[in-house]
Amino acid sequence: MDIKILFLILVPLGTAFLIPLIDLINAKLRRFFVLLGVLLESYLIITIITGNLDNFRNGDFFLQYFLGGWRPPLGITLAMDGLSLLFVVITAVSLFLVVIYSIGYIGHHEGKYYVLYFLIAAASMGALLTADLFNIYVFIEMLTITSGALIGFKRSEEASAAAIKYLIYNVLAGLLFFLGVLVVYFNLGTLNMAAVAQNFADLESGIQLFISAIFLTSILIKMGIFPFLFWLPKSYDTAPSPVTAVLSGILSKVYLYIFIRIFWTVIGFEVITSLNLNIFLIDLALFSSFLGHVFALQSNNIKRLLGYSSIGHIGMITAVILLNTEAGFYGGILHIISHMFMKAGLFVACGYLLQYTRSHAYGDFKGVGLRNKSVFIAFIALLLSMIGMPPLLGFASKWYVLMAFLEARSYFGAFIVIFGSLTAVIYYLRYIAKGFEEVKLTEDDLKEEVFSRPLLSVLYREKIVSFITYTYAAIIIGFGVGFRFFDLPLKMSINSIMNVERYIELVLGG
Amino acid sequence: MLTNLIFIILFMLGFYALIMKTNLIKNVIGLNLMEAAIFFWVISFSDIGGEVSIHKFGETMGKFNDPVPQALTLTGIVIGASTAALLLTLIIELNKFSGTIDRDQIEELND
Repeated sequence: MDIKILFLILVPLGTAFLIPLIDLINAKLRRFFVLLGVLLESYLIITIITGNLDNFRNGDFFLQYFLGGWRPPLGITLAMDGLSLLFVVITAVSLFLVVIYSIGYIGHHEGKYYVLYFLIAAASMGALLTADLFNIYVFIEMLTITSGALIGFKRSEEASAAAIKYLIYNVLAGLLFFLGVLVVYFNLGTLNMAAVAQNFADLESGIQLFISAIFLTSILIKMGIFPFLFWLPKSYDTAPSPVTAVLSGILSKVYLYIFIRIFWTVIGFEVITSLNLNIFLIDLALFSSFLGHVFALQSNNIKRLLGYSSIGHIGMITAVILLNTEAGFYGGILHIISHMFMKAGLFVACGYLLQYTRSHAYGDFKGVGLRNKSVFIAFIALLLSMIGMPPLLGFASKWYVLMAFLEARSYFGAFIVIFGSLTAVIYYLRYIAKGFEEVKLTEDDLKEEVFSRPLLSVLYREKIVSFITYTYAAIIIGFGVGFRFFDLPLKMSINSIMNVERYIELVLGG
Repeated sequence: MLTNLIFIILFMLGFYALIMKTNLIKNVIGLNLMEAAIFFWVISFSDIGGEVSIHKFGETMGKFNDPVPQALTLTGIVIGASTAALLLTLIIELNKFSGTIDRDQIEELND
């Protein structure tokens, strides 16, 4: 029983509901309140980490909380093992950085923005911590609704259209997930993930296949793997930059966590193997990765390009995790971490660089690098990390992914990793070159550029915004040199993925 | 058996409205129909011809219906209502700009 993990969900939820009240008193207090919320969340995580340092080393870290005191399998359990701890920490770091960025970036309707933002924070924490299948569904829907509202936040034609598209795909995915949860309940009589995991192997293989297929379809839609990827680039393009950073940095990683949790802990990988789903899935994910990189080549819009490249990377991560080897998990989770910071950093940098332009098209990049030299250098560092240049974090993670594919003798996978890097060189260098193209602007042109176009956003705190971009670049460079820092957390999470019996025993045993 | 049949018909009807109709509002209705089909199926599954469980709790415990699916359905209804509300709001917003709710005629939805 550790009540701290309940507060990990309650703090952002409470902040979200108190912001409108604070607005009524004094709108200027809002920013301090928002900061207070994220600081409290970070404090909770730091106390959890420092309080359990010995357990990390022994490998017996496990926290849980029974809501209302009802023990499993009756009540709802919150559980935190190595895997969820790692995801909670990186999600919280991203949330922290993006909220500070938002303080500088979001100009109007701030109150509504922060309410939705903190609801996303609460829902992602909830999805990472819960040990109850139906709770996962509720938190997934919460993520869908709040992120859909944030995609349509600009209230323009294309933003509304993107949000509708996003919502229709994702609500459908949520419905399928709900159906899957219900089929599990009617067959096993419980919703607790550990209790389901204990009994799942005894079911008939037809029902096993049905449940796996429903969950799989739902999660593939959410992650944007091949047949269902068409909602993704558009919504990445039209959402405000911090929201895109959240979508690609946090939401897709939370869905990856749910994917791992359901297919390794709840259903069990032996069942997946006996249904012959894993071979098919690896090829599907790799094909999706290939398509993502090919689409990125022909894209003429930087944010859409980054969205397509996200599809490429998520497909690669899914495939490498599905190898079900220790090296595969190591590379996959390391790449989850590095992709989270790289992509969020790139979107954040785009928000700064393209603040005066109406669209994010290729042509708008002209001369951007000359106007904002230092931010553009950070942007280039992040791009190089995406490509996989040696001293940066992207290199380390891609290297381990490649090694995992080679070790499992999956040469198609190894080809996709290298193909992704090579195409990335082509499509990113184009933008870097365009950024350094010189434009001769007379004073009148500059005025016209700034004032005639309706601004996407008004940056009234440029320094905060550029500072966050530098922070992301510093994280990429710092951890690129010292990526061994992740050894212990990665070992812990690999342990908790591989050792399902321990999870079942701890959750059910109390 | 009959409930399963009704579930499948309702679900497929909703899916048809979602995929084949080009009117965005009909798409949302299709989504809601699929949801309604699932709720109907759940409730019919949990009904084993007993009492309402909470009503006689503590007294003589006879045969009672499983309360969990009903609780799940309630949560599902709330979620379905809020997604439908959000979708309809966005459709109104889109209609203001483009003047139509036919998804084939809105270029922004087709790229």
